[in-house]
Amino acid sequence: MKKTLRRAAVVAGAATAAFALTLSPASAAPSTVWTVTPTGSYTATNVGNIVLTATIPMTCTTSSASGGMASTTGNPATVATINAINFGTSGAPCTSVLGNVTTTAVTPWTVVAQDYTASTGVTKGYIGNVKANVTAGACKFTVTGKATSTYTNSTGILAVSSVSGDLAVSSNPAPVNCGAVVTTATKPVFKGNYAIKASNGVTPAIVGSNP
Amino acid sequence: MKGQRAAAPRPSRVRARSAAIGAFVVLAATVPAAASAAGTQEVDAELRYVCALPSGRQPVGVRVSAAFPDRVEAGEAISPVDVTTTVELPADAVADLTALEAATARAATRLTVGVAQDEAAAEATWHGAAEPAALPGAGPLTLTATGDVPSVTGRSDGDLTFSAGNLAVDLELGAADGTAAGPGTLTLDCSPAEDTPKDGLLATVRVGTDTAGPSGSPSPSGSAPKAPAPSSGTPGAPQDRQGDRAPKAAGDPPGAAADRDAPPCRYDDAHPPTPASLNAYVTGYTNVRKLKGASLLPPSCMLIEQGNPVDGPPDPEYLIFDTASTADFHYEGRKQTPPFESTFLTFGFTPVTATMVLEQTGPITIDSRIKMRWSDFRTITDTYVRAPLVLRVTALEVNGTPLDVGPGCRTETSLTSADPDPANHPGDHLVLYGRGEQDLGLPATGYLLLSGGSLSGETTVPAFTGCDAGGENLDRLLTASVSGPGNLLKQVQGQTCSIANPVFGDEFNAPQCTRDLQPYVIPVPER
Repeated sequence: MKKTLRRAAVVAGAATAAFALTLSPASAAPSTVWTVTPTGSYTATNVGNIVLTATIPMTCTTSSASGGMASTTGNPATVATINAINFGTSGAPCTSVLGNVTTTAVTPWTVVAQDYTASTGVTKGYIGNVKANVTAGACKFTVTGKATSTYTNSTGILAVSSVSGDLAVSSNPAPVNCGAVVTTATKPVFKGNYAIKASNGVTPAIVGSNP
Repeated sequence: MKGQRAAAPRPSRVRARSAAIGAFVVLAATVPAAASAAGTQEVDAELRYVCALPSGRQPVGVRVSAAFPDRVEAGEAISPVDVTTTVELPADAVADLTALEAATARAATRLTVGVAQDEAAAEATWHGAAEPAALPGAGPLTLTATGDVPSVTGRSDGDLTFSAGNLAVDLELGAADGTAAGPGTLTLDCSPAEDTPKDGLLATVRVGTDTAGPSGSPSPSGSAPKAPAPSSGTPGAPQDRQGDRAPKAAGDPPGAAADRDAPPCRYDDAHPPTPASLNAYVTGYTNVRKLKGASLLPPSCMLIEQGNPVDGPPDPEYLIFDTASTADFHYEGRKQTPPFESTFLTFGFTPVTATMVLEQTGPITIDSRIKMRWSDFRTITDTYVRAPLVLRVTALEVNGTPLDVGPGCRTETSLTSADPDPANHPGDHLVLYGRGEQDLGLPATGYLLLSGGSLSGETTVPAFTGCDAGGENLDRLLTASVSGPGNLLKQVQGQTCSIANPVFGDEFNAPQCTRDLQPYVIPVPER
């Protein structure tokens, strides 16, 4: 019983943080015109380890992605697609205390921009349309939803830091052979940084404006 | 001449007894995997060949030895092991080489082996390599080449024969000063002499279940785990799994496990998989304290049912999950390890080789507890493997000659260990322990059931019973020599293969399963 309360407290704490985040960008008019430079294809490589937590944490030391970027209008606005994203390599699998974990993304995912701060060159938004099948031995489940993230023009780092409730464990298909560790009530969290490079090698910039 | 080593004359009882009495001293854990196991035929064929030498065609003696299974199931690979090809060059042939100013010769052999089953036939090439040999000034020269050979799979029931065909001997000739001699290399093309015994027949392996294994009826082709399609030839023909293997074997794609140095490890009609089924190999050393040495368990197949984690006991500091999995050893349909050997020296320095198996007397349980600390999300998984295992001695060989120990020579009870939770785990059993751990954001390390790792424990070997050599009771001898407490174990489990979620491997994922759903990883024992 105590543990249940503890779990609830953790979720509540995370929800409060998310609430705070959504309040913060109220100071400026939301951007509706998004200019991406350059447009076209890009690659993303992890900087530091990627952690996907579904009750217990799983660590990937390698992750990479690729897709296309384009200028667009609206808010929220899809400024990039993730056509492929991989977790782990044959020599360095993703691991958890259950054992090695295999994560297969169902793409495309999207990079959605919501808020731009000109003074810092930081775009806030989320990775959308997230869907991934995760297996650890006989345990198999599907994660869906979005992952809150920011992109910083000066560093070219896409920082993924989802909050509890962004992602969910699918009930169709429901988890199998995962027992109490992963259920449809589990709130997965996806955290990690990716360095973005355009196909010509430069660091892309995203600029939001409200003409 | 094809002979079975088991036909060697038995020692007199007096000699066997005197050789066996006295404290055993471990020589070493020299363990060729199951080489003289029950169900294995050891072949030592003396053949006659004619080889083309620089001075003309000359008769050459060739000897081929190998261990084959007595029988396999249809679709199960036959993997000859301990293959040795010995070429005896007569004095005249050696003179041909010394005439080229050669002082040494390094031989590589390529033996064409015909494989036939009913009307179907195929050929395999057995490669062997020999150490450099000095050419004698006069007289013959024996070149002994060894190497791994491809496995062969009979697709249907019926006897499958292996016959030696043409032989090529590549000789790398060296001069006394280490430089190449003569042409550098010389290939001797040899063909079986007309009078070679039995037309070169090496072995006959029964394919099918006439001899009734415990697993019951033969599996029709296409049942359960799919075997790869034949690479060539007519359907139903014996299939050379790797063909001409040569040095590129290491780069071969993950295929069937059959061509590897481990027994088959797959679910079948008699052992159908469930959605929670895994398989894995385990191997490692067990110290025998009294003998001041270690015995090696060769890679052994385990069929595992992965348990579902359930909430563990409440704890203010930790989130806890408990998982109860079960497992069985699986060898030729039985819940036991493959046979394994250890060689000892007796009191009189007579080598004694024991062939043993570990037999389950009940289910193996695997209990894992995951504990995640709330303060920093550091996570630990402690796993206890409990295995009721009797140690059975199936054969003793004294100074190379077999000593019958009877069919019932084994420990009185299971190997035992102190159990950390005896109330919930009564009865005699072996306990092995492994820990996996992970700090938040870092990779997991240590033993985890799914990905394997090192398990350790300590066991007491009970007294032996039922060991009878033609009226001589060997129980007390074995008990005095082997039984006792304080024997450390270290077993290494490989990555499991999940039958429901197989990972065959790609750029992003290490392979976990072969294409026919056997464990991809064969672990290496650790000291």
